[in-house]
Amino acid sequence: MSTDFVIGESSEPQTYDVVVIGGGPAGASAAIYTARADLTTLVIDKGLTAGAMGMASKIANYPGLPEPIAGTDLVRRIRDQARSFGASFVDGKVLRVDLKAEPKRAWTGSAEYRGRAMIIATGAMGRTNRFAGEDRLLGRGVSYCATCDAAFFRDRTVAVAGNSDEAIDEALTLTRFASRVHFLNPRADFLAPEGLVDELRAHEKITVHPSTRIKEIVGDTGVEAIHVVGRGREEIIDVAGIFIYLQGNVPITDYLDGQLPTSGEGCIVVDTTFQTEVEGVFAVGDVLCTHVKQAAISAAEGVTAAIAVDRHLHGREGLRPDWSR
Amino acid sequence: MPLLDAEVKEEVARRLGTLTGPVRLVMFTQEIECEYCSETRQLVQEVADLSAHVTATVYDLVADSARADELGVDKIPAIAVIGERDYGIRFYGIPSGYEFTSLLAAMETAAAGEVDLAQATLETLSRLSTPVHMQVFVTPTCPYCPQAVVLAHKMAVASPMVQSDMISAQEFPHLAMKYQVMGVPRTVINEVTHIEGAADEPVVLEKLREALRARREEQ
Ligand SMILES: Cc1cc2nc3c(=O)[nH]c(=O)nc-3n(C[C@H](O)[C@H](O)[C@H](O)COP(=O)(O)OP(=O)(O)OC[C@H]3O[C@@H](n4cnc5c(N)ncnc54)[C@H](O)[C@@H]3O)c2cc1C
Repeated sequence: MSTDFVIGESSEPQTYDVVVIGGGPAGASAAIYTARADLTTLVIDKGLTAGAMGMASKIANYPGLPEPIAGTDLVRRIRDQARSFGASFVDGKVLRVDLKAEPKRAWTGSAEYRGRAMIIATGAMGRTNRFAGEDRLLGRGVSYCATCDAAFFRDRTVAVAGNSDEAIDEALTLTRFASRVHFLNPRADFLAPEGLVDELRAHEKITVHPSTRIKEIVGDTGVEAIHVVGRGREEIIDVAGIFIYLQGNVPITDYLDGQLPTSGEGCIVVDTTFQTEVEGVFAVGDVLCTHVKQAAISAAEGVTAAIAVDRHLHGREGLRPDWSR
Repeated sequence: MPLLDAEVKEEVARRLGTLTGPVRLVMFTQEIECEYCSETRQLVQEVADLSAHVTATVYDLVADSARADELGVDKIPAIAVIGERDYGIRFYGIPSGYEFTSLLAAMETAAAGEVDLAQATLETLSRLSTPVHMQVFVTPTCPYCPQAVVLAHKMAVASPMVQSDMISAQEFPHLAMKYQVMGVPRTVINEVTHIEGAADEPVVLEKLREALRARREEQ
């Protein structure tokens, strides 16, 4: 068991002018503009392949980029551009925020971040559908956090469902405890860096099941098995635990804890400058339901919100386009 | 070898510098110490050394059984975080990893003696006429767990009827087994209701009410 000591909420973390949650096309584009407007800018993002852009293998319709480009490469380029103007990026999954505090706060598992303004850009890759048995067996073998719960599965057989770098990392964590890890990839390929995929495939405790989906999680008082469908056949695999890292298509707003009003579909509600009901808090990109889900549209929303943030922080009325310097 | 490195110490000292009242860390161990007893003892001493507001006292669960009974401590390692009075904040198992955050938060809450809970929660808690026991099972590697622990501890401060324990599932496997813990955080209220995951305040409040109803039906 670890005996290191994490200090969650340090007393005086740096206060940024702008904290952006989510570094996809929307969040990273906003950061280009806020950083260029000399606002200290921090972007918190949980992973390059965790967003919609990370899933897109080829983008051919992003203005100015006629050659098809991988989604991850496009995001990387937008982030690098933001960095070149002084924006900072940290890896982390935001678990909780306090939007009413001044400055506003966001917490990952290990740190607190503060911003005078906040831009929410976590996209819409949240899950909606639950598998049969999933809710009933949550905490009884169904888990979304191997780092938290792996120790309960010492010498047991478990399964992991997903195909992102997060899913692979968690499967590798489980191998330290479990006797066997069945990796259920709903797709034929992986959405993760090659080195990580190689590590997964080579691990003696891991069995990879490509193109395999869960039909039902079976168990009475705890998980006993999973019913899976893959490549034309159905199978029951005996497991004591199932760790789920799949993506869906609803806005990711769980960490907001109801602090912002959402529409019936769970989308954040904003005004024409992309400001939410809470002053100084903006939302852009796929977390809104007002647009066609396209990278260029998300990027443009990020830019519009960034200009509004600048105005908000400087109490400026007019919009000053930034032609060049 | 100190447990806390210089950087962590500096940060903790700065944070404890803002405590608004005295805090006592009352730690229980045993002559033949348990697996993490000596580390927990060392931890409370190192933390207490960082602030003039904080004192650490170490008791032996067996030799000082009267003190243990008074604080309702029945297993080790244990820490009772005590402010102006004993609010019922307990840690069973070493508060390492992410739970160190919960320890610091508990010290701040105990020092202040007041909490920022919703009005509905405070009202329900103020009407309690029977004891409520909240046990939050955690692992040190769980980033979601402090949220559940901190909320339970705040509820303890808000009502003299509530005692809230952080319990390290790995250090107390028999309790983890008894309460069928296979995922954390798992909060058990009065042995009857339980919450999976770091739930919001209204959800915890509803589960607390459910536990109270279950008790009334039992009687
Ligand atoms: C398979 C696929 C193909 C597509 N093809 C195209 C195309 O060809 N052309 C096109 O224009 N659009 C395409 N799209 C749509 C486009 O990808 C999205 O509209 C766009 O990426 C939305 O940008 P965003 O920044 O709002 O969200 P996302 O790209 O989803 O980015 C959200 C970011 O937030 C981060 N995040 C989420 N939760 C947290 C948290 N709690 N803490 C910290 N960070 C968090 C994620 O890591 C992610 O980086 C495609 C989408 C998919 C799924």
